[in-house]
Amino acid sequence: MGMRFRRIKAYWNKPEHAAYLFLAPAGILLLVFCILPLIASFVISLLKMGVDFRLAEFVGIDNYRKAFQDRQFRNSFWVTVKYSLIETPLQMIVGITLSALIARNHLFNRLIRSIYFLPVITSAVTVGILWQMLLHSNVGLFTYWIQRCGLGKVNLLNNPETALYTVIAISIWRSFGISTIILVAAIQNVSKDYFEAAQLDGAGRIRQFFSITLPEIMPSVWFLVMTRIIGSLQVFDIIYTLTNGGPNKSTNAMVLYIYQEAFTKNHNMGYATAVSEILFLLILVIIMLQQYVMRKTS
Amino acid sequence: MKRRKWMAELPVKILLSFLAMLILLPIFWLVFSGFKLEKDIISWPPTFFPKTVTMSNWHTVKARIDIVAYTVNSLVYAFGTSIPAVLVNALAGYAFSRLQFKFKNVLFLLFLATMMIPFQVIMIPLYVEVHYLGWLNSYAGLIIPKIASAQWIFLARASFDGLPGELQEAARMDGCSEFAIFWKVMLPLIKPTCITIFVLSINNCWNDLLWPMIVASSSRMRTLANGLAMFIGTHTTEYGPAFLCAAFSLVPMLLLYIFGQRYFVEGQVSTGIKG
Repeated sequence: MGMRFRRIKAYWNKPEHAAYLFLAPAGILLLVFCILPLIASFVISLLKMGVDFRLAEFVGIDNYRKAFQDRQFRNSFWVTVKYSLIETPLQMIVGITLSALIARNHLFNRLIRSIYFLPVITSAVTVGILWQMLLHSNVGLFTYWIQRCGLGKVNLLNNPETALYTVIAISIWRSFGISTIILVAAIQNVSKDYFEAAQLDGAGRIRQFFSITLPEIMPSVWFLVMTRIIGSLQVFDIIYTLTNGGPNKSTNAMVLYIYQEAFTKNHNMGYATAVSEILFLLILVIIMLQQYVMRKTS
Repeated sequence: MKRRKWMAELPVKILLSFLAMLILLPIFWLVFSGFKLEKDIISWPPTFFPKTVTMSNWHTVKARIDIVAYTVNSLVYAFGTSIPAVLVNALAGYAFSRLQFKFKNVLFLLFLATMMIPFQVIMIPLYVEVHYLGWLNSYAGLIIPKIASAQWIFLARASFDGLPGELQEAARMDGCSEFAIFWKVMLPLIKPTCITIFVLSINNCWNDLLWPMIVASSSRMRTLANGLAMFIGTHTTEYGPAFLCAAFSLVPMLLLYIFGQRYFVEGQVSTGIKG
């Protein structure tokens, strides 16, 4: 017995065998809680299924057909696309500009960077109640300040015309710290020689930015654009806490729609999964685009 | 010359400071509002500072929700996920970085692929799965599916890649077992990365809303984030307590940020995702 145990131990202590043991915990967890659910999702999307999973019924691609005929779905699809297409470029412009301004390491810039990063660690629920009240149409402090600036009494979050743009602005407020800090790191990695050479040639700071900094940090920018698009297609918590999809469904992004269909009132699990599959497809297209661009640039 | 440069930079500094105020003022305002009387919150014109400082909101919070239980749940979720997350993911990252084995490339691609599966796409089957396991409204259901993450595995792998190979060989010569090499020699050397994973994971769990809302919706199992979301949803007229509650949930993350800012920043730069 002791002999056998020792042999087993010796076997698994070989690096090429131990590796599998080392991969096992993470591998099993990823298999069970990531890959398996993904495979299951394809099946569930073909079922009509409620809370009771035993009563599921096969309906083929009906869920997908239903989605494209559903006005609520089409609305959520366009809200998501619009959100993504506006949020990402704005976020990039803010991030690139600010990172260029605070890239150098001195006390003032360090302090500014720490402050800009603060909203990133704040929960969406906190951000939600915070901005809901600051922009409240009757008692909001910002509403008051905006009025004092002579811009009239605005009702930004409760107006279907402005709600989505307001949510986008708040989303940028919450996450521009990440983009900025990633780009600061990219700028700091650009060789100092380039700037010195440019300075000798008499190039000003703005010229240096466009001719050296920007081309050099382009890979980071591209990476950020892609992750931001993918992230913004999955937007949920910030909208949930700010407007819960309202007013008039004008901010009802796809994940909110999925959540409502699956977990509130109707429990249309099958249908909601089909919608999430469409979202997945959208994200895969972006990822493939990213691979294509990366291959072309490198 | 120096003076002129300073003058030229002044507009930029003013702009940067203005943006900083746009972040700090709302956060301070939130904290102050937690100590305002309800009638001061809903008065026009609104004020930045409280007219009277009151603790009454705290009593309302305690009367309405079980904030102690929610805090405990949040702590269990955050630590229960993050501590195993560091170990499990570092272990896998170590294998991919320092060990040679069959099917390494295939397995690596498979692990990589899981990074492209958005949580929002698998959340419904995951809910079904957790339901079948009997883990709804339990810590197991909240924690176990969230431990492994390809993102952390790659972060750990990159750190292990930076270590010299001789260390491993020397330890092997000394008769260390493979696990002892990992545990006693290699893992301590990437401590900063472990802390980064830990800090970011704590922050993610603490602020996570969607997953707790789905699997821990019973009033006993709610975390601070979804408890607060529910509180705001059902007691929309009680602003003061909601502010105080929000400020309360912010404090631990602020402390974590103050002491671990470096790790937050490093983690974001090297993984570049989230949000």
